[in-house]
Amino acid sequence: MRVLIIEDDADTATQLVSALEDSGHKAEHAADGVAGLQCARDGDYDALIVDRMLPGMDGLSLVRTLRAEGRDVPALFLSALGQVDERVTGLEGGGDDYLAKPFAFTELLARLQAIVRRREAQPSVTRLSVADLEIDRLKREVRRGGEAVPLQAREFRLLECLMLHAGQVVTRAMLLKEVWGYDFDPQTNVVDVHMSRLRARIDGDARTPLLHTVRGTGYCLREPD
Amino acid sequence: MNRIRLSQTTAFRLAMRYAAFCCLLSAACLAALYWVTTAKLDAQIDAGLRAEMSALTRLYDLKGIAGLREAVAARSTLPSLAASDTGDTGPRQYLLTDPQAELLTGTLAAWPHQLPLAPDMWATLVVALPVDQPGLDQDGPRVRVRIHAVILPGGYRLLVGQALNETDELRGTLLSITFGAVLLTLLAGFAGGAFMGRSVVRRLEQVTLAADSIMAGDLTRRIPEEGGRDEFDALAQKLNAMLERIEQSMNRTREVTENVAHDLRSPLGRLRTRLETIARQSNPTEREVLQKAIEETDRLVATLNGILSIAEIEARTRDAWQALDLTTLCRDVAELYGAVAEEKHLTFTTRLADGVQLSGNRQLLAQAVSNLLDNAIKYTPPGGRVSLSLMQDTGHAEINVTDSGPGIPEEMRGRVLERFVRLDASRSQPGNGLGLSLVAAVAEHHGATLVLDDNRPGLKVTLRLVR
Repeated sequence: MRVLIIEDDADTATQLVSALEDSGHKAEHAADGVAGLQCARDGDYDALIVDRMLPGMDGLSLVRTLRAEGRDVPALFLSALGQVDERVTGLEGGGDDYLAKPFAFTELLARLQAIVRRREAQPSVTRLSVADLEIDRLKREVRRGGEAVPLQAREFRLLECLMLHAGQVVTRAMLLKEVWGYDFDPQTNVVDVHMSRLRARIDGDARTPLLHTVRGTGYCLREPD
Repeated sequence: MNRIRLSQTTAFRLAMRYAAFCCLLSAACLAALYWVTTAKLDAQIDAGLRAEMSALTRLYDLKGIAGLREAVAARSTLPSLAASDTGDTGPRQYLLTDPQAELLTGTLAAWPHQLPLAPDMWATLVVALPVDQPGLDQDGPRVRVRIHAVILPGGYRLLVGQALNETDELRGTLLSITFGAVLLTLLAGFAGGAFMGRSVVRRLEQVTLAADSIMAGDLTRRIPEEGGRDEFDALAQKLNAMLERIEQSMNRTREVTENVAHDLRSPLGRLRTRLETIARQSNPTEREVLQKAIEETDRLVATLNGILSIAEIEARTRDAWQALDLTTLCRDVAELYGAVAEEKHLTFTTRLADGVQLSGNRQLLAQAVSNLLDNAIKYTPPGGRVSLSLMQDTGHAEINVTDSGPGIPEEMRGRVLERFVRLDASRSQPGNGLGLSLVAAVAEHHGATLVLDDNRPGLKVTLRLVR
């Protein structure tokens, strides 16, 4: 993934660049809005990380300008401002996702991968599979090794979300947003309870597990090594 | 907003009282005028009659009955009657009879039988008159007449009268003017009261409307000033100045909060990223320690976010409100927490009324219900009971969350809604003591009431929302 980071805080930017490079991605940095806009126009990036408050031109106007020019490169807003309203204005302004500072780098990476994947994904794909786990999104059927696995509606939505991002980390916050539609952070890790139920349904004891917990971050559904 | 009814306004009532007072005053003045005028007229008429009578009795004394008869006959002719009509009263009337009341001469047909016999008689009677008298043709033959009569020496009876048809007209006119003036004062008072009341109501409604939208969160709203120098403009200016100061201080608070948010979040973010970077490059033992440090950072961030969320909710407007189905919202949160309750071996029951609709902020209400269930589950020991119910009545929706946990002592129930207040002083339970404060902020934002009560045993939390 080639990522452009438009962020005025040099420390955060440096850390982001090195963390992204550690994870095997390419990252470039622009320190203000005007330079960032120029880079975004010239370079060929898979995703943009844009701080909401930038010198020169604020993040929201920057993404709006890009969208008006017909550039649809996925953009993720970062903001140290409030949470509830910021998310809405960010998404309305053409952003694909929003993350409040401070964030876990793993959360940022998971969301970046998700927004890039969303651009590539065919929404019309009705069948998804990982190893011997298959789901039919139309009939809402799940099979593991050819055997039907009965799932409740919410469990199906959870699995569907993980299958769409197969091989990537999906964070708890992302699952809460995608499956339940909640922007807030529940005090207890309610998602974990639901995930352990889902895991019991699709990964029996004897089977090769497909659903993995990524400590401190979230979950990942992937092919066995 | 309740509209102010005109008839209930102070201005209208004052104007009505003032109008009634003016009415009474003008009625009294006009009544006095009427009384004085008519009394004067009556006195004039009586003086005229007395003078005429004394002239005629003197004539009788000088020339006897024949001379008197001649004089009365002369005065009873039409031209002299017409001359006697001064315009203010009516024509004079005369009658002269012999002692047996047989008509000798005059304008009346017969001695009025209603007139009691006495040496000197005064009366006002309705008498039939010959219709061909001047000034009487429109009034018909029966008119009120002021009568003065005497019995002359020798038994002859002489009557002098004054038809009152024109005086009565004057009285009628005076009465009409009196009634008209009273009515006009009353109407003017009513119209004036309505007008003054309306303008007061309009000015006050501007204040009410502004207050309503300020309470709804629009702090930039001001009361319109009309550029005059009246007390309403003075009041509006003072109120607006006050609102200006409130808005400034709210903005300053928000700025401080935002600066704190920014200044704490950025370094915390860098700290976390650094820890993550080192953790990736460390051996498993070191990584375990670093992971603990990262989790500690996350708790710090969660607490910071909690405080900022509450501050944010308190400063929010109702822009993000939407019509929502509270039944679905509660069912979804219940479904999210049902699994957690089951995991902890709690009996979790829900009783939700169907189709409870209201308008509000979906995320905030879901978060509030989520926090209530979270608390109930967290503080109830395994094997206990937790329930969520939703009811509605006219105008309100009520969410109840009950548990069979230790409950909250009565004296602490108000305090736990404050920030960072927790029951266990040792703070051994996980959580930051912000859960109920956030629920309280959400309730406040929705104009709802939040009540903590004894569930015997356990805690019962009631959130009562306006539909």
